[in-house]
Amino acid sequence: MSDDVQAVPVHDVITVGAGPAALTAAIYTTREDIETLLFERGVIGGLAAVTDKIDNYPGFFEGIEGLTLADNLQKQAERFGAVIEFGEVTALRDEGEFKVLETTSGTMKARAVLIATGSDYKKIGVPGELEFYGRGVHYCATCDGAFYRDKTLVVVGGGNSAIQEAMFLTRFTTHIDLLVRSTIKASDVLQQDLQKYVDDGKITVHLGVATDEIVGENNSVTKVLATKTETGEKLEFTPDGVFVFVGLLPNSQFLKDTPIELDEVGLVLSNEDLQTNMPGVFVAGDIRSGATMQVASAVGEGATAALKIREYLEDRKHPVQN
Amino acid sequence: MPKKVTIFTTNTCGYCQMVKKYLGAKGVGYEEVNLDLFPHRQAEALSLSGALTVPVTVVTKHDDSQEVIVGYNLAKLAPAVA
Ligand SMILES: Cc1cc2nc3c(=O)[nH]c(=O)nc-3n(C[C@H](O)[C@H](O)[C@H](O)COP(=O)(O)OP(=O)(O)OC[C@H]3O[C@@H](n4cnc5c(N)ncnc54)[C@H](O)[C@@H]3O)c2cc1C
Repeated sequence: MSDDVQAVPVHDVITVGAGPAALTAAIYTTREDIETLLFERGVIGGLAAVTDKIDNYPGFFEGIEGLTLADNLQKQAERFGAVIEFGEVTALRDEGEFKVLETTSGTMKARAVLIATGSDYKKIGVPGELEFYGRGVHYCATCDGAFYRDKTLVVVGGGNSAIQEAMFLTRFTTHIDLLVRSTIKASDVLQQDLQKYVDDGKITVHLGVATDEIVGENNSVTKVLATKTETGEKLEFTPDGVFVFVGLLPNSQFLKDTPIELDEVGLVLSNEDLQTNMPGVFVAGDIRSGATMQVASAVGEGATAALKIREYLEDRKHPVQN
Repeated sequence: MPKKVTIFTTNTCGYCQMVKKYLGAKGVGYEEVNLDLFPHRQAEALSLSGALTVPVTVVTKHDDSQEVIVGYNLAKLAPAVA
């Protein structure tokens, strides 16, 4: 903590989130003695930490487990003095030189803020989904997959996450029905990988199938009801559980009462310096409008944001005289 | 500080790591039951939590009452181990 104004702790930099973007930013800022506090309400390492394996992050030619990468990033940031607070930022306002953050650990001030909140999994929004959450309906394959050893599953979704997670889940299950509302939107590489599991009979892909309801009894899922979108034909699946990966929802709800501009899907807009329209508030990673939703890009943006934050803080320390 | 804390985990579960990191940061000791190593204890985790998920954290207080926390839920975990 650099000083104390009216008993509210003041930090040089506060990051909202401690995923790959924020942890990288913290490596850069703290290494240059810019004191940095990271707030993390979920898993340190963000979505990367709850992903089984990251195959395309440069420098790890055989891929790296998401949890290991997250741990390494945390250790590297902490080596230079970054501090991670277990908690959530719930609101942000501009008081000129200082930005005021409401958090689960109380009110805090920062000279600069980095928004690096990424996104969370979306729900399908069908009957039974909330009722059986954790008792047959799941959103985290690396957490809950092990409960389905030698069982059958339905996986809902057709994007990169759904395909990657369905393939991961085959290490436990005997069979997976993959319900895709329209067509598969995953990358070509993932689609080629998926084909191997289809050929082996481990995954059956159902295209153009909308999930209608998750039915269960006695604390567990018994049926998934669905409809073929083209013909209206009703389908019934009888898995032991359901994993849902139907896209991501930007974590920008805490900005709703701020003047910070968001795009039409709720991602944060910024200029070429990754600064938002609130001076001193920067954005990096998946939550930035225009982001490419990859660990390598989140890490790159984290580094860029840190360097821009350093410039911003320097400019305020030594204002240009006219 | 509670009398005893037991966490049911799996190898790949990031939220399990967070419970361990949080307890580590607060200096609270715990016993870990890794369900990948001891799959026969899954039924125990299920009967305690009513849920097919990890982490499941069982906090035993000094009066031997127990609180079971499902998932990484700081709002419940923090006061339970304070
Ligand atoms: C299943 C899956 C597989 C993937 N596979 C790959 C892959 O193979 N290769 C690849 O490059 N990328 C992959 N990705 C994408 C990659 O995980 C993300 O691009 C990357 O994690 C983005 O990093 P980030 O720091 O921007 O955000 P995140 O990783 O989402 O981290 C943001 C963090 O902010 C926290 N947070 C949010 N709001 C608040 C708040 N108000 N207060 C405090 N904390 C908050 C969240 O809890 C989260 O931990 C995958 C993603 C998924 C879902």
